[in-house]
Amino acid sequence: MIVCGTGIATSTVVAQKIRDYCAERGIEVDIQQTKVMETLRGVEDYDLVVSTTQMPGGSGVPTVNGMPFLTGVGVEQTLEEIGERLQS
Amino acid sequence: METVTQFITDLGPAVVLPVLIFVFAVILGLRPGRAFRAGVLIGIGFVGIGLVITLLLEQLGPAAEGLAERFEVQLNVIDVGWPSTAAIAFGSQVGAFIIPLGLAVNIALLGIGLTRTLNIDLWNYWHMAFIGAIVAIVTESLLWGFVAAAIHMVILLALADWSAPWIQRYYNFPNVSLPHGTSAPYVFLAIPLNYLFDRIPVVRDWKLDPDTIQRRFGVFGESIILGLVLGIVLGVLGGLSLNAVLQLGISLAAVMLLLPRMVAILMEGLAPVAEAAREFVQRRFPGRNLYIGLDSAIAVGAPAVIATALLMVPITLVIAVVLPGNQVLPFGDLATMPFIVCMMVPIFRGNIFRSVVAGAIAIAGGLYIATAISPVFTQAANNVNFQAPGDATQLSSLVDGANPVTGLFFGVAQAPAVGLPLLGAAALLFAWWVSRRQPGEPAVAGSKPRPGEPERAREPQEERI
Repeated sequence: MIVCGTGIATSTVVAQKIRDYCAERGIEVDIQQTKVMETLRGVEDYDLVVSTTQMPGGSGVPTVNGMPFLTGVGVEQTLEEIGERLQS
Repeated sequence: METVTQFITDLGPAVVLPVLIFVFAVILGLRPGRAFRAGVLIGIGFVGIGLVITLLLEQLGPAAEGLAERFEVQLNVIDVGWPSTAAIAFGSQVGAFIIPLGLAVNIALLGIGLTRTLNIDLWNYWHMAFIGAIVAIVTESLLWGFVAAAIHMVILLALADWSAPWIQRYYNFPNVSLPHGTSAPYVFLAIPLNYLFDRIPVVRDWKLDPDTIQRRFGVFGESIILGLVLGIVLGVLGGLSLNAVLQLGISLAAVMLLLPRMVAILMEGLAPVAEAAREFVQRRFPGRNLYIGLDSAIAVGAPAVIATALLMVPITLVIAVVLPGNQVLPFGDLATMPFIVCMMVPIFRGNIFRSVVAGAIAIAGGLYIATAISPVFTQAANNVNFQAPGDATQLSSLVDGANPVTGLFFGVAQAPAVGLPLLGAAALLFAWWVSRRQPGEPAVAGSKPRPGEPERAREPQEERI
């Protein structure tokens, strides 16, 4: 699974929260961060993308909007959505 | 007292910042164990960034010197990129106190109604710290450094409020504004330029297609390939041996990958503290009709931004070579172009042609600024123990070294006693003008057509997800 923020800053915040959440639920995840410019090549190798910005290439991989992690509004729902998608 | 200060300076930020962050985190209510780990991680991040900068300068230095000898291109100021700039800023004396200072200024402005933005993007407080560090070095006064950082915060908040309607409409971020030190100042450039473009017949209809650009120029987005190719080209032009050319190529590719990774470590340490501070502040400002100030990183994925940034990479390199008097060799921030253009694009309604022209103007002017501040920048880097080997090479960056607001503060700092109070008054006046300009709900303000924006101005904004 890849947490695809843009710079380093936002994706680190998101990665941390998802890692904590998954550890609590006993979900095994392998998280990688990258910036959006690098995703133009494709992200097919991953199961789920969490992006705090728009994915310009249209990933073809299920994508969750990571914005709530930054605004602090709706974090729980987003985490649940991520958890469900990962377990299915 | 002086020995104490000297002792702290000698220790360097890799030791001092962890202690400071630990104390700050415990005050904010973080568990001591977690706070301790956060502090240590920040120290590690600092050490890592220092290592990578040394690698960059050692490898690139000889090539830059060779370039100067063979072609009379004086590009001896190396762009060390925003990761280094951010570390230099946070490691400075102003940076040590920037989060409490910035929050205090923000809350005061909210209190008297001069802004609607609550900037919870604490990581990006480094921009203010950077301005503060530069001004403190030029004026040799820490106090002026803090004053400058505070004024910078006022300017960024006002710019965030001013640009919010464009940003919210174009990117569809309700109630978000972007008080970002790199992106926001270019709003000053984009608004008049867009006005001008609308009035030039024929040219006003020019536009470019983001898809084609992404396909053709996508390689400029892959920073390791960019580093590799740039290293080989510079090595060949600099007249290095074949061995050295190949080593330079791989080293620069390594720098492109490693430098952001090192900052990620710094960020991992800062994240829990920044989160705690964010929650602390947001609890105290619940439900008020505020813009949430975020990192402009959330905007850089838009196709028009990506396309513009890809085009800006070769354009920046060409400008750097042909611009008379420029000494900056763009490198680290070639990967940061999206941040320079991402708040101009919405003002140009996604028009890539206009965005690229504006970006080129911003870079051309910016290279002069980055050249001018390079001695001070190098000093700031030395202050946090990031040393250039030898005296031949100097350091600077495009983000924020080439920023117009950096140039403004650098100029004003030459006569701080007059300049800074005047600039402070102007910033407050600007904030007041912006706050008077948009009474009412943000959503309503956002949908109002701007003066000078003709009706035909409906760009096809295909926002693919």
